[in-house]
Amino acid sequence: METLVFQKPSRIKKDCKVTFCPGCDHGVAIRIIAELLDELGIADKTIVVSSIGCSVFLNDYYDLDIVEAPHGRALAVATGVKRAKPDKFVFTYQGDGDFASIGLGESMHALSRGEKVTAICINNTNYGMTGGQMAPTTILGQKTTTTINGRDAEVQGYPIKICEMAAVCDGAAFVARCSLDSSKEIENTKKMIKRAFESQINGLGASVVEILSICPTNWRLSPQESHERVRRELYPVYPLGIYKDKANK
Amino acid sequence: MGRVVIDSEKCKGCLLCVEVCPRNVLKKSETYNSKGIYPVYAENKNNCIGCALCAKRCPDMAITEVYR
Amino acid sequence: MIKTGEKVLLKGNHALAKAALNAGCKCYFGYPITPQNEIGEYLSVEMPKMGRSFLQAESEVAAINMLLGAAATGTRAMTSSSSLAIALMQEGISYIAADNIPAVVISVMRAGPALGYIFPSQGDYFQTVKGGGNGDYKTLTLAPSTVQEMIDYTYKAFHLAHKYRTIVFLLADGMLGQMMEPAVLYDYPYEDIDNSDWALDGAKGRPGRWIGSIHRTETALEQKTLALFEKYDKIKQNEIEYETMFADDAELLITAFGSVARIAKAAVKRAREAGMKVGLFRPISLWPFPTQELNECAKGKKVVLDIEMNMGQMVEDVKIAVNGESKVEFFGRPAGYYFTPEEIYTQIEKTMEGLK
Repeated sequence: METLVFQKPSRIKKDCKVTFCPGCDHGVAIRIIAELLDELGIADKTIVVSSIGCSVFLNDYYDLDIVEAPHGRALAVATGVKRAKPDKFVFTYQGDGDFASIGLGESMHALSRGEKVTAICINNTNYGMTGGQMAPTTILGQKTTTTINGRDAEVQGYPIKICEMAAVCDGAAFVARCSLDSSKEIENTKKMIKRAFESQINGLGASVVEILSICPTNWRLSPQESHERVRRELYPVYPLGIYKDKANK
Repeated sequence: MGRVVIDSEKCKGCLLCVEVCPRNVLKKSETYNSKGIYPVYAENKNNCIGCALCAKRCPDMAITEVYR
Repeated sequence: MIKTGEKVLLKGNHALAKAALNAGCKCYFGYPITPQNEIGEYLSVEMPKMGRSFLQAESEVAAINMLLGAAATGTRAMTSSSSLAIALMQEGISYIAADNIPAVVISVMRAGPALGYIFPSQGDYFQTVKGGGNGDYKTLTLAPSTVQEMIDYTYKAFHLAHKYRTIVFLLADGMLGQMMEPAVLYDYPYEDIDNSDWALDGAKGRPGRWIGSIHRTETALEQKTLALFEKYDKIKQNEIEYETMFADDAELLITAFGSVARIAKAAVKRAREAGMKVGLFRPISLWPFPTQELNECAKGKKVVLDIEMNMGQMVEDVKIAVNGESKVEFFGRPAGYYFTPEEIYTQIEKTMEGLK
């Protein structure tokens, strides 16, 4: 007698076609979030805020209530949703450009206010949808279509560190950085998102999970090489771990 | 003994699942799907232990079900 | 506490804020800017007492997007701001319009361009009526001219926003916001509008809903915009509002909106007393503009004199409406001073003189 040990989460659309580039980590992040909504039993009261960039297409995947935020404004929109409907579960799904470049003001203020929302930030160190330009998180030396000789601190300045910045906001309850570069890290990312969701459910404040992700197309690397790059080049600049956790002071 | 269900039309051939499979079950197909992609299929079916590592790695939700 | 129906002395901004509460506004998001600060200050005290949400945003950009979020849940919500700060909201306004969600934006105009100063102005007719955001969309715009109308049209703004699931502007100016005069506060006169078939409240026992503006096929995008304009056609059919005074037999027809229309009324009355055949046409809904109505009214007039506290903005719509039925002249001055009735009266005399 066979037992079903894995199936698609209930809120992933039955006929959904994942349209991200081959190997892109977005699909994994989207799936584990949906698994958690099932496991925590909160899908019925969830309102998702999508953003601009590759993350704009959430409605292709999720059978959930979703509102699209203008570029960078996801946490402002999420604030409006949560203030209007405090009993709903609200999370944003954004890229690093959205969260930490054009939307840095909205992000920091929502975290400082301690809005009871969760931000999922997919950090792939470049602007994926527009063709791989420099992002706020592009690391020094990284080649992008607008830093063809590599990011130079003298010219483009230094990368922004999302979790380190988020952790200093008094209203932030849970801040963690994780990665999707291996099966083990996928499991860990799911745990981190779960704890972020729980901090919202328990009314502790705002939560952020920054997920280091690959962009094979724009990095000009295979998915396997891309995951290797995450470990080799991104881990030293963006160390994984929990940066803040009000539930376990 | 396990079993994986692969939707070969959804597979984009990134082969990340092949890399994570501990039992060498999965292999790139010799024939392409309607998108022109060589999808993954379960070649060594009998080796599968139903650990679902492949399904959890798959970014395209192309491994739709895993049985044990 | 003001009793319903009691006539009391009210400041324009306070009257508007009280009306918003009566209209059931559950969420307010805004950022300070003169000359509309009394709205936020008043609501910051009153809304928490009523279990409603007042939030001072970190910027106007954030405020309009918070409004977008609340609007997506079908909640009655608003923001208030002024001129240069409304400029910062244009992106969000375009999204709200495209999303077919109900939101009220109060614009208490001040003098521009840019920082200008806090003097009253009508320099943002274009900004509001023509829109500063991208793409094909319209913003329903109501222009009050008295403190009483700040109440009346705040109610109407909430009603129309939810009736049509659209963004509605209340376009006032610093004079209306800051002045005090007697007004009657009464109960919100409109019925609640059911939003259970579209609002986001968690997809329980129904498929998920998506509120957004991206469409990846030419057909879908075109259909979306065509549907938006079908809605705008309905608004045009039903919601045009204007007022006339001594218009029927007038040789000179003044067009003016908002506080200038009110000043013009005094000048028109005086001109009538002096035997001059002068009338007034005051658009109240600036979009939809009473194009056909003004065209009819302008027939047989010797001149239409458009008066605005700017260098000529609504006059473009007036010319389109009059469409050759009469000559159109413009009298305006840049923001800073507001017109006195005498100044308008003198201009009436001058224009009548020119007709001889």
